[in-house]
Amino acid sequence: MFGGLRERLQGARNRLASSIGAAATSQADAAGTDAIAATAPDAPVLPSLAEKVRIFVVDRELVVSEKDISAALSDLEMTLLESDVALPVSDAIIANVRAGLVGKHRKIGESVDALVVRALKSALLAVLGKGFNLTEYIKTHDRPVKILFTGVNGTGKTTTIAKIGSFLKERGFSVVIGAGDTFRAGAIEQIDVHAQRIGIKIIQHQAGADPSAVLFDTVQYANSHKIDVVLADTAGRFHTKANLMSQLEKIKRIMKPDLVVYVDEAVAGNDAVVRAAEFERTIGADAVVLTKADMDSRGGAAISIAHTIGKPLMFLGTGQAYSDIIPFSPAEVVDELLGGGA
Amino acid sequence: MLDSLSASLKDALKKLAGKTVVDRAAVDELVKDLQRALISSDVNVKLVMELSKAIRTRSLDEQPPKGTNVREHVLRIVYQELVRLVWASTDVKLEPQTILMAGLQGSGKTTTTAKIARYFQKKGMKVGVICADTFRPGAYDQLSTLCLKINVPCFGDPQGQDAKRIVREGLVALKDLEVIIVDTQGRHALEADLIQEIIDLNKLTKATHRWLVIDAALGQQASEQARRFHDAIGIDGVIITKMDGTAKGGGAMSAVAETKSGIVFIGAGETVENLERFDPDGFISRLLGMGDLRALVEKAEEAMNADEMDINAMMKGKFSLRDMYKQLEALNKMGPIKQIMSMLPMGNMQLPEGVYDVTSTKMVRYRIIMDSMTGAELDEPSLITSSRLQRIARGAGASPEEVRELIKYYKMMQRTLKGLRGASGGKFNMQRLMKRFSGMQ
Repeated sequence: MFGGLRERLQGARNRLASSIGAAATSQADAAGTDAIAATAPDAPVLPSLAEKVRIFVVDRELVVSEKDISAALSDLEMTLLESDVALPVSDAIIANVRAGLVGKHRKIGESVDALVVRALKSALLAVLGKGFNLTEYIKTHDRPVKILFTGVNGTGKTTTIAKIGSFLKERGFSVVIGAGDTFRAGAIEQIDVHAQRIGIKIIQHQAGADPSAVLFDTVQYANSHKIDVVLADTAGRFHTKANLMSQLEKIKRIMKPDLVVYVDEAVAGNDAVVRAAEFERTIGADAVVLTKADMDSRGGAAISIAHTIGKPLMFLGTGQAYSDIIPFSPAEVVDELLGGGA
Repeated sequence: MLDSLSASLKDALKKLAGKTVVDRAAVDELVKDLQRALISSDVNVKLVMELSKAIRTRSLDEQPPKGTNVREHVLRIVYQELVRLVWASTDVKLEPQTILMAGLQGSGKTTTTAKIARYFQKKGMKVGVICADTFRPGAYDQLSTLCLKINVPCFGDPQGQDAKRIVREGLVALKDLEVIIVDTQGRHALEADLIQEIIDLNKLTKATHRWLVIDAALGQQASEQARRFHDAIGIDGVIITKMDGTAKGGGAMSAVAETKSGIVFIGAGETVENLERFDPDGFISRLLGMGDLRALVEKAEEAMNADEMDINAMMKGKFSLRDMYKQLEALNKMGPIKQIMSMLPMGNMQLPEGVYDVTSTKMVRYRIIMDSMTGAELDEPSLITSSRLQRIARGAGASPEEVRELIKYYKMMQRTLKGLRGASGGKFNMQRLMKRFSGMQ
C-alpha cells in the first residue's frame, strides 16, 4: 500500500539531496575565494564563514544549513500531507528531519543521498516503532489469549477478525470468535458466515444482547475447551458517544482482554489521529490493525496513527479474501519506502 | 490540536479587524491558516491550494463594498469561495426515480440506503429497496432488518451470487413502487471487475441518480476515488456519512469538486432517522473549526434584532438572569459561547476562561433550573435567599449546589459584561458590539 508514498518520498529525497548538493557547491566556491582572501590583511569577515572554511578545509566536511533545505522540506511536507499523514504528525516528522540534517557535518565524498536517506529513515522509524508479532505473543503468553477488537463504524473489524482467525488457524492455533456486535443489523449473521467458512467455533447471542455477556461466554468456552485464542468482535462506535465508550469499558472489565486491538482504515484522513487518541485514552490499545490498505497506495494513516498513540502496527488488511492480511514490519516498509538504498 | 488551529485562524482574522485597507501580510497569514485548517479537515491538498490562491487574489484585488470593513470583506470572499465548492443544486425531487448507491467498503452504504428509504417514505412516497450486495456476508440480513423496521419492501437473495440477476428481478418485483434504491457492494476504484459490475448495474437500472457515499473521515484518497467512480458511472450527488464522529468531511468536499456535483445528504447517527439534508453553512463552519461563518458575513444591521435583549440595560450592567436565559436559549442553537465571543471584534481582549467553561449539557441544566424560578427572581437574582434556593432546587430536580453554581456563573457573566464596558473606553463602539452580540443570536 505504500507504493504512492514511496514514489513521493523518493522525489522529496532527490530534491533534498540536490538542494544540499547545490549548497555544497556554493560553499566550496566560497571556500576557494576565502582561501585566497585569507592572505589579504582584512581576512575572513564572518566568524561563521570562517568556521565553515575551517571545517571545509581542515576536516573536509560540509555544514548543512537550515536555508539549504527549507524549500525541499516544505516540498516534503506537501508530500506527506498529500499522502494523508495528518498535519500535526507531518509537522513532527519535518521537525525531526530538519533536526537530523541542519548543522550536521558531512564528509566530502560521503554522498548527499546517504545523509538525506539517513535522516528520513530515522524520522520514519521513530514514528513507526517496532511492529508486533502476534504469533510470538501468543506463544509466550498464557492461553487463552484474549484479543478485543475496537474501532469506529465501518473500518472492517468483523472482516479483520475473520482474517486473523484464518491466519492463526493456519498456524496451528485453536480459535474461538465472540460475536460481540449485537447492535448493527446483520452483524451476527455476517460473522457467523465468516466463522463457518473458515471453520472456527463462534459464540453468539441474539441481536440486542449485552455484548459483555456474549464475550464472557466466549472466554468461558475457551477456558473449558482449552482454546488458544479468543477473538472478540465489538460493534463499531464513535469515540464521541460517551455511553457506547463506557459499554466498551464494561466489556473490557468483564472479559479482561490480554490485547486490545484498535482497527482503523488506511484511507482515513486527519480524523484518524483524533479518534485513535481518544480510543487510546479511554480504553487503551496495545496494537493497531489498518484495513483497506489496498485502496490507498499512500499509507499516511499508518504513520499518523502510529505517531499519535505510539502503538505498534500489527497487520495490514489488503483485500477482501481471508488471506489478504499481512503482518506489518516497519523496518521493511521504511526500507521499501526509501528504495532500500544507502 | 484543532482548537489551536482555529484559534490561530481567529487570530489572523482579528488582525484584519482593525484595518481600513487590505493588508497583504495579514491576508497572507489568514490564507496560510486557512490552508492548514482545510488540510487538517482532509480537503484535498491541491484543491486547498487552488482555493487559497483564489481567495488571496480576490481579497487583494477587489474593493471592499462601502460600509464593510476589511475583515468582513475578506470573510465574505472566504465564505463565497467555500460555498461555491460545495453548493451545487442537489434538489431531491419527490417523483418516481431509481437511485444507485456507490461507495467504498465500510462507508455506510447499506445504513444510508435504509435512511434514504425512510426519508422518501416520510415524504409520502412508495419506496422499495434492492440489495445488490452479494459479497459481504450478512448484507442482505442487515438491509432487510432495517427495512422491516420501517416497513419498506426489500428485495434480495442472500444465497445469490449474481448482482445483475438480482437487480433485474428486483426491478420487476418492485415495479409498482415510485422510488427504488439499489444498495451495492462496497468497492474501490482499483477493483476493475467490481467497477465493471457497477457500470453494468447503472446501465441495467437506468438510474436517475447515482449517489456516492463518502465516509466523513476519508482523507486525500477521496478525490481519486470520486474521479474513478465519476468516470465509471457519472456521480450526480455525494452523501457524507458518520458525521457524528469528529471527522470534518473534507474528503467529501474534494469528491464534490471532483464530480462537479453537490452534497445531497448527511448521515449522523446509527438509526434510520439520522439523515439530514445538506446545510453548507454548518458544514463549512465545521470544516474550518469556527463558528457560523455566514453569521459573520452578514452585516450586523441585517442580523440585528435588538428586541431580544435589552442592550441599554446590559450596558449599564443590568444583566438579569432573564437575559442569561435568552442567551442560553440562543446559544443552544449557536454553539458554545466561546465561538460566539470569538466572532466579536474585540481585538485582543481576554475574557476570563471560566466564562467559556459551560458545556452544552450544563446549559440545558441551567435552563431547567431557571424555569423553576419566579419572574421576580429572574429579574432580580439578589432576591434568591437560601430558602428560595432550596425551593428552586427541588422544583428543578437539581441539587442546591447546582443552583449555586448557576448563580456563580451568572455573576461571572455579569462581571464580564461590566468589564467589557470598562475596557472598551470608547476605543470601539460598545453599542455596536452589543447589538452585534444580540444580532448573533
